[in-house]
Amino acid sequence: MKQNQLVEKLSLQAESFQEGFETLIKSNSFEEITKNFWHLLRGSFLVTDIILMHKSSLESEWKLAKSEVEIKKSDLLFLSKKNQLTIKYYEKKKIDVSVVLPLSDSSYLGILLGHKLDSSGFSVFDKITLQILLQVFSSAYNSFLNEQKEKKLLFDLNEKVLQLNNLIDTGIELSRLERQNVLFELALERIASITNASSALIIIKDKENKKVADRITFPGKISTNKILKSRLKIESSFEFNKKIYRFVLSEKETRKGATSFSDLDEMLLQAIARQVQASIENEFLLKQSLEKERIEKEMSLAASIQQKIIPEKLPQIAGYELAGMNIPSREVGGDYYDCIDIGEGKYALIMADVSGKGISAALLVSTLNAALYSYLEFNLPTTELAEKLNKLIYKSSPPDKYITFFTAILDSNSGELDIVNAGHNPGLLLKKDGTLEKIEAGGTGLGMLDFGFPYTGQRLTLNKGDKLFLYTDGIPEAMNINEEEYSDEKMIEFLRNNSDLIPEEFISSIVNDVKKHVGEAEQSDDITSLFLKRI
Amino acid sequence: MSTDFNIVSEIHNDTLVMKTDGYINNTGGEKIVLEFSKHINNIKKVVIDLAKSKVVNSIGISYLLEMIETLNQNDGKLYFTNLDPTIEKTFKIMGIFQFAEKADSIDSILN
Repeated sequence: MKQNQLVEKLSLQAESFQEGFETLIKSNSFEEITKNFWHLLRGSFLVTDIILMHKSSLESEWKLAKSEVEIKKSDLLFLSKKNQLTIKYYEKKKIDVSVVLPLSDSSYLGILLGHKLDSSGFSVFDKITLQILLQVFSSAYNSFLNEQKEKKLLFDLNEKVLQLNNLIDTGIELSRLERQNVLFELALERIASITNASSALIIIKDKENKKVADRITFPGKISTNKILKSRLKIESSFEFNKKIYRFVLSEKETRKGATSFSDLDEMLLQAIARQVQASIENEFLLKQSLEKERIEKEMSLAASIQQKIIPEKLPQIAGYELAGMNIPSREVGGDYYDCIDIGEGKYALIMADVSGKGISAALLVSTLNAALYSYLEFNLPTTELAEKLNKLIYKSSPPDKYITFFTAILDSNSGELDIVNAGHNPGLLLKKDGTLEKIEAGGTGLGMLDFGFPYTGQRLTLNKGDKLFLYTDGIPEAMNINEEEYSDEKMIEFLRNNSDLIPEEFISSIVNDVKKHVGEAEQSDDITSLFLKRI
Repeated sequence: MSTDFNIVSEIHNDTLVMKTDGYINNTGGEKIVLEFSKHINNIKKVVIDLAKSKVVNSIGISYLLEMIETLNQNDGKLYFTNLDPTIEKTFKIMGIFQFAEKADSIDSILN
């Protein structure tokens, strides 16, 4: 073929070369581009076989890219081992042409072309066409690689935006969740998603006994052991409220299999773990705050109940002087005192202390107060009164609640006292001659037991100049900052030294003396007292 | 790798409907593309119902993008139904909705 004929024939082919190039650059994958190139070769050369091979580097093994015939190992011997473009033409061999085309990503394309169907052999035109097609493939492959790089760059950029966005969203969503299990599930889903982890796990352990309190995995059905035994894992943990929260991510996914996590993945895991920690801490603090608010409300209610029960004014008893005082502690307690006029010159002096504090104690005092007013109308002996009150309080209070109770029914005409002490601090009777009697006869606290044991009463007479002092344990047990009690001894000594004061003055003096002892320490219990003097 | 992923598919004329269940990660993405490739020559539309898939990672998304490219070459279209808000946002950021659409229901695509 003459030169000008060759040029003319090639120029006629130019359009098909261009079309071939455009087909190749539209390919989305390596498989597609090699398949399209295979068809381009098939359309250009009428040969028996076309085999396309590929190897990722010079040292790698050839891998089949596209062929419609079976490949034999011996076929590969036709492919040059050199790192440069090699085109070889053969005569009387199994194949007519072998090509090794170095590509821009250091990989190689191997081409084996069989015999021409018309057995004519490769002409000059065929050889030039092959050269052009190799150039077309090389350019299209470059374009394909660039497009893949561009796509990957855009994908990676979007992924970073997604990670940042997820991190922010997760922080907001976690802070809104109250149930911890939902919180952990969300945290695991998010951290697995943004790090491409195959699975994720949270183990919550008790810090002291190291026992597992809970474990949650993502996906839900995966075994904990599988995650923990993975060689490709990262961890982050924190401690809060005597518990250890351990986060584990296992096997970072890629399209080619599992790989190690990056430093960025570790930072993302730590960030999510920190968000979970903040959420748990906030929930804990919120609960504490709500509990504090609830207690304060209860205390306020308890205080108002107790305020209504404690008498504002005590009755005036002819021939006697009487004063009482109740100073509630910060936590409202269950102290109660009263002096109830029951008619015919008789008065019931009451001193009681309910176990515990708060609303339940205040309600029990209220029950006692109502029951007292009701039973006292029947003019019962104090022992019988105590028995009835004991049954009532036993039935209407929980097992850990009881009332220590002291009552003395005074016949103001005779000065006679009918006394019963149900587990309370002994009443103190200070005679005019200075002798002191501790009144302890009675029985167990009200509501403690209901075995039907009778209460023992005691009858005494209050003569002119005698004094009766009733109190709750808030006086002798008042403690200073060194945890030293005011003590029974000091209280009795104070009584002896100051009993000549009028009752109001005596009570305010002893309260002052107790406060002086307590000093800067907090008042831990109610201070309640009643002082009766026969004049 | 986790295999906690299931897929149920149906063909309605030229539409492949795939209902996924579980984490759309490498395993999930592979299964979706494999199912899609079985029907590639007979379909124009693909609907992926994500009612039971609440989590997707970027490897799973790369499979979806690959499927979208193939569909686009064949003048086909990919639709998603029952998208969890988090997945919807993820798809938006990753550019999926430039080539695929969100549909109200499977029926809205079939009819």
